[in-house]
Amino acid sequence: MLSRHAEDLFWAGRYIERADDTARLLDVTYHGLLESPLADAATSWRELLEVLSLEHAFDARHPTVTGAAVSAFLVLDADNPGAITSAVSHARENARNVRERISTELWEAINTFHLELRGRNLREDLERQPYQLYSLVKSRCQAIAGVASETMSRDDGWRFLLLGRMLERAEMTCRLLSVRFGSHASTGLHADVHYWMAVLKSVSAFEAYVKVNRAEIDRTDVLEFLLLSREFPRSVLFCLRASERELARLGAGLQPSRPERLLGRLRADLEFADVHELLEAGLVESLETVQDGIRSAADAVASHFFLGSASPTLHAFEAA
Amino acid sequence: MAPDLFEGYERGPFFDEIFDSEDGVRTHYRSLAERLRGLSPGDLERTERLRDSIFRSRGITFAVYGESQGIERTWPLDLIPRVIPADEWSHVERGLVQRVTALNRFLEDLYAGERAALHDGVVPRWLVQSSAGFVREAHGIPVPRGARCLVSGIDIVRDGDGVYRVLEDNVRTPSGISYVLENRSAMTRVLPVAFAQLRVRPVNHYGSSLLAALRSVAPPSAGDPPRVVVLTPGVYNSAYFEHAFLARQMGVELVEGRDLVVEDHVVCMRTTRGLVRVDVIYKRIDDDFLDPVVFRSGSTLGVPGLLAAARAGNVTISNSVGNGVADDKALYPYLPALIRFYLGEEPILPNVETYLLWEPEQRAAALARLHELVVKPVDASGGYGIVIGPKASEEELAACHKNIEENPRGYIAQEVVALSRHPTLIESGAGAGTARLEGRHIDLRPFVLSGERVEVIPGGLTRVALRRGSLVVNSSQGGGSKDTWVLAQDEEAG
Repeated sequence: MLSRHAEDLFWAGRYIERADDTARLLDVTYHGLLESPLADAATSWRELLEVLSLEHAFDARHPTVTGAAVSAFLVLDADNPGAITSAVSHARENARNVRERISTELWEAINTFHLELRGRNLREDLERQPYQLYSLVKSRCQAIAGVASETMSRDDGWRFLLLGRMLERAEMTCRLLSVRFGSHASTGLHADVHYWMAVLKSVSAFEAYVKVNRAEIDRTDVLEFLLLSREFPRSVLFCLRASERELARLGAGLQPSRPERLLGRLRADLEFADVHELLEAGLVESLETVQDGIRSAADAVASHFFLGSASPTLHAFEAA
Repeated sequence: MAPDLFEGYERGPFFDEIFDSEDGVRTHYRSLAERLRGLSPGDLERTERLRDSIFRSRGITFAVYGESQGIERTWPLDLIPRVIPADEWSHVERGLVQRVTALNRFLEDLYAGERAALHDGVVPRWLVQSSAGFVREAHGIPVPRGARCLVSGIDIVRDGDGVYRVLEDNVRTPSGISYVLENRSAMTRVLPVAFAQLRVRPVNHYGSSLLAALRSVAPPSAGDPPRVVVLTPGVYNSAYFEHAFLARQMGVELVEGRDLVVEDHVVCMRTTRGLVRVDVIYKRIDDDFLDPVVFRSGSTLGVPGLLAAARAGNVTISNSVGNGVADDKALYPYLPALIRFYLGEEPILPNVETYLLWEPEQRAAALARLHELVVKPVDASGGYGIVIGPKASEEELAACHKNIEENPRGYIAQEVVALSRHPTLIESGAGAGTARLEGRHIDLRPFVLSGERVEVIPGGLTRVALRRGSLVVNSSQGGGSKDTWVLAQDEEAG
């Protein structure tokens, strides 16, 4: 397939995943604060910005961290390419560029989502019923993933879309872990349970976690689950394995491509990792290594398969 | 009892497509008119809403240059279809095949032949050579089968007597076919009842016909089957929707200039698995931007070395480079003579009376009655720059007069054609559900494919001038559209 198309599909996958993940994080932060009124609101919102690597961009625009300001920044600020409306509109542009490659149903799903967001009074949503808005975003993103899965042939186009989604998700989960584990010192109180429940819920992992570990919410188990689960589709390892698999299918020859090699190495490190060793060695550093590895792999995908243009606005904005 | 949709309709002093001169419904429209009469204002409102939501969610829009706010507009489709009976259509169809055949012969003669039409004085040599669309660099580029006008859009109007006349030839990159197909698809969804009992000739084979035509002009060295691509200027072009649509209908890649590279006079596209050879390019960008080596050196839309690859016979570019000379409105008056010259036949579809402003006597005659004529720049399309004498102000006429005297080669003047009118749903402004039928002027752009043979797609894009009294039908100027139904042969009894 055309390199340019591969690039558009890859980014369409990433942007939809970004919108989905952002809505999940907002939802959990907002409602988590309502459920545990003792928590420090400003700290929670700042942590959210850090998960998204947007704290500097936010600070440049807003004097103080408040729930309303952070929510608006992450939902509807046109200057923020990672804001939900921007991400969806970017995904729509990407989809428009590959209009003839993707199914009409997929295009319509993305296009109507974009129009729906534009037609809503989002500020009012945020003031009155943020839950409805976040549910809408989550369900539309899920629907888009579903429509893609049910209408697209498993050709290279599908693989790039999935690759974009999986790499974005791996990076998001990884950032989530590094922020949450980096900041939260265990206090052994009920507050702890709420905190880790919120972390699990922000990646829809609570129920899946409970099935495996029952209702014993333990910091180490949460880390192990979100980092190393082979079954749960939002764990870092799961996403890396899926990405590696798609990259292998995209490969032409017997030799693995550079992105495949990078990703394979990273995946193998995690595959045989022990969570206790990770904690002893310094979790935050280990997670940063993983995050850097994901970035390098994504850069290698761009230089190996795409036209070699600079990476889009999203990363540039975060780097700023 | 719902009010009759046609009640109070004013036919006016024009040829009306539904009502004859005694206000009776024309035979071929009777059964459809009966069904439309059964629609209540509520039905119509629901239907219009459904139509709009279909077009919006499908993203069927067009861009209007120069408008920053909401540059994408939803495609305007009128719910009342235009119906063309089989006998009328077969006349139009024969006329179109004849005209496009002559255009192909003329362009082949000009770029790859003896230039017989110029030697014999059928068309003045200087007129061709001074045409902005005449591309010297295209000389000698081979085009298999001489199918230079692979896709033609020939604009046709009906005059006050109902005579079909050709108004304009578009053989560079005519657009609009995607709207023909989308209009039909939308109509079958929103007004299925209207189709009952009528046998409307289908149009949805266009993608496969176009692909077959493009493959039929592949160079001899092409693969089997030849690899075809659509070349677009990109997503910001006003016709991008159509480019994507056609690529999807044909199942071929939609490429931009930066996706293509020429190596050793062979055109390849950059894919995730390396370079892949391309045999036929259906180009939807202007000649000027095609190849920065030959044309505009600053163009980033094109592909360096593309023309040389075509000249080497390694790739076919459709429509052919240099076709713009036939779109030059100064050449239009010579089409009847060219048909006689190349085919030895009388033209089936007449032209509109046109003044050759570069001939002193005709210029004087035209300037004397400018207020009664239509003046068009020879190199513009989309309805831009047209001066309609009877509606122009004194200042506009004076400016037009001056322009013609300074550059007589740059304009043509034509008699005003009282374009036929068609009942069209117009919002009265009194709120939803109050639309009523009013007569609006229409034209028709049928699409003609040249490949192994010349094939006409039944019907075409009927464009409607939505402003009351307006004669300008272009969508960039506030025009609408109608689904165009050509009836199958045995439908005549009504």
